[in-house]
Amino acid sequence: MAGHNDSEKKSTESTNDLPTFNAENLQSNLKVIYYSRTFMSIIAGVVAGILGFTSLKGFIFYVLVMALTSVGLVAKTGFSIHTFFDSWNQIAFDGFFGGLMSFVLFWTYPK
Amino acid sequence: MRLGFLVGVFGVLVLAHAAISTIQYRGLLKIMEEEFSGPPVNVMVELLLGLVLCMWAALTVPGKFLSIHPHSEENRIVSLPVNLDFVIFNHRGRAFPVVTKLKLNH
Repeated sequence: MAGHNDSEKKSTESTNDLPTFNAENLQSNLKVIYYSRTFMSIIAGVVAGILGFTSLKGFIFYVLVMALTSVGLVAKTGFSIHTFFDSWNQIAFDGFFGGLMSFVLFWTYPK
Repeated sequence: MRLGFLVGVFGVLVLAHAAISTIQYRGLLKIMEEEFSGPPVNVMVELLLGLVLCMWAALTVPGKFLSIHPHSEENRIVSLPVNLDFVIFNHRGRAFPVVTKLKLNH
């Protein structure tokens, strides 16, 4: 009986624990990621423009730089993503398409 | 953070210099009537340097990550209640016998 009660308590505790995290801090972390990505996409656009990449090459370059940025961000968390973020794709893909816009702008602007 | 910002500014300046060099190089190629296949080596080095510096700035300037666990060191609430002046520890309840002891005597 007691054991049964204990297990029940534990299960309810775990269900309570799973979704609880500091939303304010998560928001600020996402903001940090968003800033990093926007700045890196602008810089990537400038570099791609100077190197004279055209069409598909430029987009491949963008994907490469974003992957590098993701690795850098993961290194910034100290390789323990779950203490700072909800899930994996938040750090890997957040701000990818928003950055693409500024990338294309700075890539094609001088031409 | 301050240092990261300065590094970022320096990186952008390096990139700007690389851009100006490339423009001049392209002008030269136009005069010599050759095709542009890629920037010269020193510009490539500058681009790489600028990219690395800007990457470092992008990772350090926006601020630190904060832990989202409610039980972590930073998120623990250690402050006392604000209305501490109104909380009384020294009152006449002390004169009464403690209820648990009464129960034990029975």
